[in-house]
Amino acid sequence: MRALSLSFRLAVLWCLALALPGCIDPYMPDAISTTKSYLVVDGFINSRGSTSIKLSRTFDIDAKTAPPIETRATLFIEEEGGTRYAVPETSVKGTYTSASLTLNPAKNYRLSIRTSAGLEYASTFVPVKTTPPIDAVTWRPSENGLTIYINTHDDTNTTKYYRWEYEETWEIKPPYYPQIEYKNGQMQDITVPFPTICWGNSNSSEIKISNTTRLTQDVVADFPLRALPITSDRLAYRYSILVKQYAQTAEEYIHWDLLKRNTENIGTLFDPLPTQLTGNVQCLNNAAELALGYVGAHSTEQKRIFISRTELPRNWRVTNGYENCVPPDTVFLKNTRLDGIAALLQSNFSSPLYLPIDVLYLPTGRVSGYLAKSNDCIDCRTRGTAVKPSFWP
Amino acid sequence: MRHAYFLLITLLFSSLGLPSQAQQTAEKTISGDFQHVPFGQFVALLEARSEYRFYFDPQAVDSLYVTLLVQDQPVRSVLERAFQNTPYRFAIDDERRVFVTAGVELDPVLPPRFFRPAGSSDVAAAPRPAEAVPTTAPGRSRYVREAEYKVYEIGNGGSGSGKATLAGHIRELKSGEPVIGATIYTEAPAVGTSTDQFGYYSLTLPVGRHDIKIRGIGIKNTKRQVVLRADGKLEIEVEEDITPLKEVVIEAEKDKNVTGMQMGLEKLDIKTMRQVPTAFGETDILRVVLTLPGVKSVGEGSTGLNVRGGATDQNLILFNGTTIYNPSHLFGFFSAFNPDILQTVELYKSAIPAKYGGRLSSVLEIKTREGNKKKFSGSGGIGPLTSRLTLEGPIVKDKTAFIVSGRTSYSDWILKRLDNSSFRNSSASFYDVSAHVSSQLDDKNTLYATGYLSADKFRLASDTSYKYVNQNASLKWQHNFNNKLYGVLTGAYSRYAYDITSEKNPVNASSLKYGINQTNAQLDFSYFPNSKHTIDFGVSTLRYDISPGSLTPNGAESLISRDVLEREQALESALYASDRIDISQRLSVSVGLRYSLFNALGPRDVYRYAPGVSRSESTITDTVRYSSGKVLATYHGPEYRVSARYAVSDNSSVKASYNRTRQYIHQLTNTASVSPADIWKLSDANIRPQLADQYSIGYYRNFKSNTIETSVETYYKSLRDFVDYKSGATLILNHHIETDIVNAEGKAYGVEVMVKKLTGKINGWVSYTYSRSLVQVNTGTTAEQINRGRYYPSNFDKPHDVTLIGNYRFSRRFSTSLNFNYSTGRPITLPLAKYYVANSLRVYYSDRNAYRVPDYYRADFAVNIEGNHKVKKLAHSSWTVGVYNLTGRRNPYSIYFKSENGQIKGYKLSIFGQPIPTITYNFKF
Repeated sequence: MRALSLSFRLAVLWCLALALPGCIDPYMPDAISTTKSYLVVDGFINSRGSTSIKLSRTFDIDAKTAPPIETRATLFIEEEGGTRYAVPETSVKGTYTSASLTLNPAKNYRLSIRTSAGLEYASTFVPVKTTPPIDAVTWRPSENGLTIYINTHDDTNTTKYYRWEYEETWEIKPPYYPQIEYKNGQMQDITVPFPTICWGNSNSSEIKISNTTRLTQDVVADFPLRALPITSDRLAYRYSILVKQYAQTAEEYIHWDLLKRNTENIGTLFDPLPTQLTGNVQCLNNAAELALGYVGAHSTEQKRIFISRTELPRNWRVTNGYENCVPPDTVFLKNTRLDGIAALLQSNFSSPLYLPIDVLYLPTGRVSGYLAKSNDCIDCRTRGTAVKPSFWP
Repeated sequence: MRHAYFLLITLLFSSLGLPSQAQQTAEKTISGDFQHVPFGQFVALLEARSEYRFYFDPQAVDSLYVTLLVQDQPVRSVLERAFQNTPYRFAIDDERRVFVTAGVELDPVLPPRFFRPAGSSDVAAAPRPAEAVPTTAPGRSRYVREAEYKVYEIGNGGSGSGKATLAGHIRELKSGEPVIGATIYTEAPAVGTSTDQFGYYSLTLPVGRHDIKIRGIGIKNTKRQVVLRADGKLEIEVEEDITPLKEVVIEAEKDKNVTGMQMGLEKLDIKTMRQVPTAFGETDILRVVLTLPGVKSVGEGSTGLNVRGGATDQNLILFNGTTIYNPSHLFGFFSAFNPDILQTVELYKSAIPAKYGGRLSSVLEIKTREGNKKKFSGSGGIGPLTSRLTLEGPIVKDKTAFIVSGRTSYSDWILKRLDNSSFRNSSASFYDVSAHVSSQLDDKNTLYATGYLSADKFRLASDTSYKYVNQNASLKWQHNFNNKLYGVLTGAYSRYAYDITSEKNPVNASSLKYGINQTNAQLDFSYFPNSKHTIDFGVSTLRYDISPGSLTPNGAESLISRDVLEREQALESALYASDRIDISQRLSVSVGLRYSLFNALGPRDVYRYAPGVSRSESTITDTVRYSSGKVLATYHGPEYRVSARYAVSDNSSVKASYNRTRQYIHQLTNTASVSPADIWKLSDANIRPQLADQYSIGYYRNFKSNTIETSVETYYKSLRDFVDYKSGATLILNHHIETDIVNAEGKAYGVEVMVKKLTGKINGWVSYTYSRSLVQVNTGTTAEQINRGRYYPSNFDKPHDVTLIGNYRFSRRFSTSLNFNYSTGRPITLPLAKYYVANSLRVYYSDRNAYRVPDYYRADFAVNIEGNHKVKKLAHSSWTVGVYNLTGRRNPYSIYFKSENGQIKGYKLSIFGQPIPTITYNFKF
């Protein structure tokens, strides 16, 4: 119930209303230490398409490393009393992908895993849910920014539980297009120009779920999926969002709901107690060995929309994320003797993180210096990819 | 008065017969060791050893004994010492005649112009004692002085042998309010009792003449002389103890700790509560109750009480006999009781009297004042967030009085002033009103009516607004059948309801409502057959009518389907009797039995579940419809209440008690602290009542003439069938809540040590508590078990707790208070590892409550400045200036972990994370 977290806000409100600074401090208990690392299963069985599962392991809460991946495992999708479909590891270590499959919606399926260490895991058999199509992905600006809503329905009144993920893509246009480059100790005209446009990409990290069990019809109307502030650099040019919709069973929904509450909204006095949540994957040959993650089985539906800058209110200030990049720096050669120039260029531009943009001339025609800026302000590939996505218009 | 006149006449005669003549012969001195010598005998000894002759009324001095060690002292100084600290006075004339009087000092020398005929007779020459010598006790009213020296004859004729019962009320002279808990006793024979909640007492004494002494906290000691012939009434009016300037000693009945029967009882009067500094400057009774040993709460801003390891729903909070379901405002930052109207707060932690039932862990009984029966008066206060006003006065003088009190917040106004849009969109306000009328219909009948309303409303930078209200009313009729028996008939109504409204999105606009109505009738009798027995018995019945939740669409566009849970109704009845038996001076025992019966009533659909498997929607085997008024489940059982006291010596005692309690209503909350959206659920066919057994034993000892009380109490409590929840339980609008609930077992044990000093310049208390509170859920499937079925600490398991409440009075007008509190941090479930799922870091949590938040400590300081102490002036006022959390320690209110931008971050929220100054102005007129 969202109601509960509001009381937490009340506490914060009191804290602030009393004009108390620092009522919220970062805190990391020393007591946190764990001896075990458990298997983590991330993914679902796709009933109409290819299934992709990521295997990793849990790691220390204060670790700064990337999550350890579980490679060289053997995975199968198993039909209850029936066929097995292999899910082999791909070139991306720890990611396992099956061929495109069409599973029987009347049957139950599970995922079985055998790790390289010889431990065998299996998820519980789950029924296949068929996801209804997305009716519309809409958006509306408000004084706080842009909100993207999703609308869907199921005439058969059987879906009830929904989960969404989304993938955002947006255009990035850097403020500079260098004409020159520093190569082999000297300035020269640029040989390979920097891209003038890139595409940023990001996957949703929030758990987005909703259910219609309290409604008379199985209708999701204007569920707010994504909110972007007015100043979001993703809205500077053209923005696109791909919404993926998954139908869930009640159990899977509860799992995601708990996971959401456990990690996105937890720990205050008025919020529910965190739960020791594992999922539906068990280790078959060692009961002490836990596995985390819920493997459901369902189809997916998706819908993409585009939003151009011109469609947004004109009074919204455009911020493209390059605000800190203007004006450019100038590297002056003035009063530098000829033998000093090489040293000056060497000291400024030997690092690929600082790039020359253009040459500055004196009225006499002599080079007086160079415009320059950091790599991040020039090469948009630091913020995205220069390869135009296939879906981009 | 009779003896006073008698003495005067003696004086007159003797003076007339023997004109003054000095006798200057050398005085004989007196030596001797007198141990508890009756005055008559003492006089005989003195007369034998000196030329002095004594004149006195033997009856007036029959209770006077002399204990004295003298060595070669003149008679005058021997007498001075003998009469020190007694009401007796003496005068010696020229003839060495000593006139002993009670209270009134005589001047043995006649006025110089006495023999001159001046129109007035010799009667006029006898100064009226009441006016003549006001030296005995400055500030004592004439009424009380007269009453103290009057001999009251109770009853007619009488046999002159056997026993008779004297009963009546003790009331405060100025306001006419009853004095609760005052002790009334005679020394010979040693018979005593204390006044009950109505100020009523009943004393059974041998027929004859008695000096009855009255003592109590906040009143001046007084006495009455009675000649008891048969059963009768004696109404006693006593004076409020306004401590006069420069007088130091306040005497009161302070050995109650040791001699009282009750254990595990904490009693606070409003004066004590006012001294405790609070965060918002206003006296807050729940905050003070939380400083008592054995009482805890999960967090700073929470008023949910956990008494001796019990859950927050296991406390019966009674406000003049009506049950209060939510005793707090603003999520627990304020308690819902206006301090100005309160008289006493009593918390029973163990040895709960048989009269009370329905909750497992404690009874918190809050009583209001009755209102001033003599004159109109008022009081109030202005604080940083709230203001309050109380008015009281007589409706019919000496018979009927009212008291009305209101309090409101202006936090709304403050929020609007803040420069932040989310604050401006927020609102938070509350108010409460209480009214009480008491009317003495005649000698035998008294009526009391109470009304109470508290309401909260808030909205937090969101589209959802919350409202909750408590509405309570009670009517009490007290009837005295005779001196030995009186009865009280109580009718009460309690209602608690909340309403959560969401309006922003027209498709989801809805309102969620919950309400509980409780109507109860109760008949209690108190019977005092003789001085050895005090018998209480009674019967009560209580009807619950709960609307467990309804979700209704708001507006035409709303797609919310109407969802209304079926009403729950039940009848809880009980029969009880208890007898307090004073077996000997040293040993007394109280035995009580309460038998409670609970009937859950239709109309209602009841699900039947397959036996032996965990309850879920899929294991429902049948649905049974019960029609209106049909009993769908019955639970009943005895509740034993036994306690005993053994006085080891005059100032120490041992007490032990055992009690069993049953509870048929459960608060459903899966958050650590009490939230207004929590719901109360009745026991039904699928949810069993809770049951607890508590054993406790304590040792009590007073030091320094009872000015220092010490106690050690230890207890063990086992709890059965209280509710805990499966992970991710849905509590709101759940049609089959039993599928999300598991039955938990619990045990709690601890030791409470307390040292208390309530008088003198330095007063206050220090307490230390060691306590544990453990829960076990090992029924059902493995997935339902919590921590694999092992005992785990409850949310409020804080083993060590030290509290100091100190008050130092520099002068009558200036005093300071210091609070100190230390406790172990509360248990918390910590994240143990992190992992990646769905593009974000997630957290794997430890076993439930396996770790603890940092220890809690806080010190508060307050200064009270009173206006001058003239008794008679238009308005009295005082200022309280305080600092809450003096050291500014950032005690964690909450520790939480959030996944933000793919990172897991831990945060500590401290609400009162720095010293908070407050100032409050109080007035009284």
